[in-house]
Amino acid sequence: MISLAGRDILHSWGKFVFTGIGLGLLIGVTLSMAGIYRGMVDDAQVMLDNTGADLWVVQQGTQGPYAEPSSLYDDTYRSLLDMPGVLHAANVTYLIMQVGHSGHDISTMVVGILSGGPGQPGQPRYLVAGRHITRSHYEAVADITSGFQLGERIRIRRNLYTVVGLSKRTVSYNGDPMVFIPIKDAQEAQFLKDNDALIQQRRRNAENPDFNRPGTGDLLAAVNASQSANTYVNAVLVKLKPETVPEDVAEPMRHWKRLQVYTRTQMESILVDKVIAKSARQIALFLVILAIVSAAIVAFIIYTLTLGKIREIAVLKLIGTKNRTIAGMIMQQSIALGIIGFVVGKIIATFWVPIFPKYVLLEPLDSVAGFFAVLVICMLASLVAIRMALKVDPAEAIGG
Amino acid sequence: MKRWPLQGRTLALLTVIVPLLVLFIYVALRSGPLAPVAVTVETVETKSITPALFGIGSVEARYTYKIGPTVAGRVQQLHVHVGDQVKAGQVLAEMAPVDLDDHVRSQESTFKRAGAAVREAKARQVYAQTQAHRYQQLFIVRATSEEIVTAKQQELQIAEAVLSAAHEDVTRARSDWEALVAQRSNLHLIAPVNGVVTMRDTDPGTTIVTGQTVVEMIDPKSLWINVRFDQISAAGLAAGLPARIVLRSRNGQTLSGRVLRVEPKADAVTEEMLAKVVFDTQLESLPPVGELAEVTVDLPSLPAAPVIPNAAIHRENDRMGVWQVMNGDLRFTQVKLGASDLDGRIQVNEGLKNGDQVVVYSEKALTTRSRIHVAEHIPGVSQ
Amino acid sequence: MSGKGIHIEGLKKRYGDGDTAVHALKGVDMQVAPGEVVGLVGPSGSGKSTLLKCLGAVIDPSSGRMVLGDEVIYDGGWKVRDLRALRRDKIGFVFQAPYLIPFLDVTDNVALLPMLAGMPNDEARAKALELLTALDVQHRARAMPSQLSGGEQQRVAIARGLVNRPPVILADEPTAPLDSERAMAVIRILNDMARQFETAVIVVTHDEKIIPTFKRIYHIRDGVTHEEAGEGRGFY
Repeated sequence: MISLAGRDILHSWGKFVFTGIGLGLLIGVTLSMAGIYRGMVDDAQVMLDNTGADLWVVQQGTQGPYAEPSSLYDDTYRSLLDMPGVLHAANVTYLIMQVGHSGHDISTMVVGILSGGPGQPGQPRYLVAGRHITRSHYEAVADITSGFQLGERIRIRRNLYTVVGLSKRTVSYNGDPMVFIPIKDAQEAQFLKDNDALIQQRRRNAENPDFNRPGTGDLLAAVNASQSANTYVNAVLVKLKPETVPEDVAEPMRHWKRLQVYTRTQMESILVDKVIAKSARQIALFLVILAIVSAAIVAFIIYTLTLGKIREIAVLKLIGTKNRTIAGMIMQQSIALGIIGFVVGKIIATFWVPIFPKYVLLEPLDSVAGFFAVLVICMLASLVAIRMALKVDPAEAIGG
Repeated sequence: MKRWPLQGRTLALLTVIVPLLVLFIYVALRSGPLAPVAVTVETVETKSITPALFGIGSVEARYTYKIGPTVAGRVQQLHVHVGDQVKAGQVLAEMAPVDLDDHVRSQESTFKRAGAAVREAKARQVYAQTQAHRYQQLFIVRATSEEIVTAKQQELQIAEAVLSAAHEDVTRARSDWEALVAQRSNLHLIAPVNGVVTMRDTDPGTTIVTGQTVVEMIDPKSLWINVRFDQISAAGLAAGLPARIVLRSRNGQTLSGRVLRVEPKADAVTEEMLAKVVFDTQLESLPPVGELAEVTVDLPSLPAAPVIPNAAIHRENDRMGVWQVMNGDLRFTQVKLGASDLDGRIQVNEGLKNGDQVVVYSEKALTTRSRIHVAEHIPGVSQ
Repeated sequence: MSGKGIHIEGLKKRYGDGDTAVHALKGVDMQVAPGEVVGLVGPSGSGKSTLLKCLGAVIDPSSGRMVLGDEVIYDGGWKVRDLRALRRDKIGFVFQAPYLIPFLDVTDNVALLPMLAGMPNDEARAKALELLTALDVQHRARAMPSQLSGGEQQRVAIARGLVNRPPVILADEPTAPLDSERAMAVIRILNDMARQFETAVIVVTHDEKIIPTFKRIYHIRDGVTHEEAGEGRGFY
């Protein structure tokens, strides 16, 4: 027995391949959309992973530092270091800022980290170029998606920073590139006002008789200095000793130190369920719609292809082809179409993914699931078409 | 007999299908978890490094003189402006004397009066002395009574006492007078040393209290930089070390200096150590006090040891180490680190030796199960 | 293979029920001997298509008896379980239009039937080639149907109908689209094949050009047939 499906494909191979490519584009788009969704969730998770932290210590009563602002005194970490189970505790600040670059601004998340100690929580875990920060001021490590080059000087608030290292996959939950700078500079950037505001503040202080008493000349200077100093950070990242249960350390911290403490799972839930929830749901919904539409189109294409063969099917039926054979031909064709479509779709998705501005994560399991989904849809669609085909009255081949 | 009747068509289809399959297999192997991670590798070399410390500070004057009056009063006149060079002893400003001049004159008169009182007392004493002597003589010839002689003796003693008192009065009046004169000259505000006026906070006519500064001046030769170093990375900071100074307004120009002293008191709040750094040579144009400067202190070179870039260091759980490539396999080697320099090179005390290959940059985070492929540079990083 | 031809007795077909029922066949009798080619003539609506469909095991008759070859296929009800196999093995169809499968070449179009019956591909193709040769289109064995002329396609269709050596061939207006020369050629082929393979052939037609060639003609009107002798011009 020859393969009727194969012969048909060979005969109108152009149409077949063309249709396959069309299906492939549709499938590629759907796979990419799934990748976009996963990339979004991955951005949030990778941000948490990159901190290397087991616990996030933030201001009491807040869900910071990502979902809400949080301020802690920068010497809070010292009291945390003493607690049992704590291996490292490091201050960290986060601030979403526009950073000047080549004449325009790009949105970044500026992270203040301790310089000079690789491996502290908060620092980038691996670099793709350059080195880690060694000086306590005016150096930066930037994520590669920022477009900054090694050696470039970027402006953050009132200072210029030299980019000394580049990292990868260090992005905020929004997909914005991170820029790591020494924490003292970050504190200044976050809390120090611009010059005009400072001048206004000094003027107001000078006019205030409480601060500007005669005979206490130093008082005014001290007040000005204290108002422009910053001793706050946004969070303390804590790394625990191996085999410590996070909640065992977190609970005493919450109770005795009057701080809010989140474990990794809690932080992830805050990020995913609150911060990126709306965007993620938006994309998830679109993904579902896209998948349904793609399925419908695939089904429609298979159906239409079969419609075009009604005459041949009638003849085949009439001359005595088994229903099973006809059904097999249609099913084989639709599965072949599905396979070609999937292969094209996967290739296209892999090649156009790098041009997306945010991270797109094509999970292999998604591809496998997609493959089977495509096969199932093709089979189901062909079943509908087969039912139609088999209802064809062979008598139609004979004149009415 | 196997027929392949449709040569042309089959060929055409194959030219489409086969590349498609090849691409697909390529895609499957090169992306996703099956794909090897691109890494760059460096060989550990034994080198000597020159660690350095980096801190920022501000230009300050070693000695700042805040010149003001010792009594409350009104500023009468200011002779200098900010930026003026002054000599030691130069009068910078004058306070209003108010009634002080009158007080001085009054006291002078009192002094002179006391002098006159002394002369009067002296006259009396001389007279009393003469009288006493005369009556003594008379007593000897029994021309007078003993009672009168005794009275005249007593008058002499009284007159001598009054003279003594008058002398003391003069001394007292002179001291009072001199005190007022001294106060009067205190109303001149005088530069204690040669220097430059840096602040002129009040203008003539302003009333100021004791201790308030009228004019501030510094000795420009005594400029130094108050530098703060992060305590974590300040090991080895000591007096005498050479320093390179870059003033904020003179970017690109490196000045040489040295560490004068390390402050015995560090800043516990900001966790910084403080040090004073001076310029080696007097600067032509003085930087303004308060200007920021970046200071790099060079520590002595260390003997050669295996050195790795700091990008190679990772922390897995609680161990510090590197990813070492041995025979194409990846393994995490724990290391003990030594000193580092500001260019990111760190000495390895334990764990690696000369010639070992370590992973420096990688596309993704590495695990022991990662498959790697060594490249010149990470794809996507422009050179 | 030869058999006893076609034997139809009292065939009735009724569409619908009650008052609106349509009696397409009201009792049809037909005999066709092996090797014989008879014509079936009648106006449209006379039931000739219905008769063919019954005979072709495409629709169910209401009552009657049909014998094909030496097998009773219908007697008040279908006596054959697999109608498809019946169509495939026992009945050869020739239509107005060739209805060749466009994506199979000529040989495979003809060889398809035996392949469907389970014959190995090489054998089926050899058989097909035999018939193509008999019909003088073997030089087009590898061509696709779209590359053939109308007449060639029709011959291939006939070859397909004959490839299983069915005892019966049902031809439905096989010459309608053809000119007289080609029509004659088709009828000649049918007669030759009928004689060569001892097949009983019924040709439904209203083509004036070929009606004179039949020795026997069945007229069908209002669901009933009656036999008539034809002119029998031509081929015997």
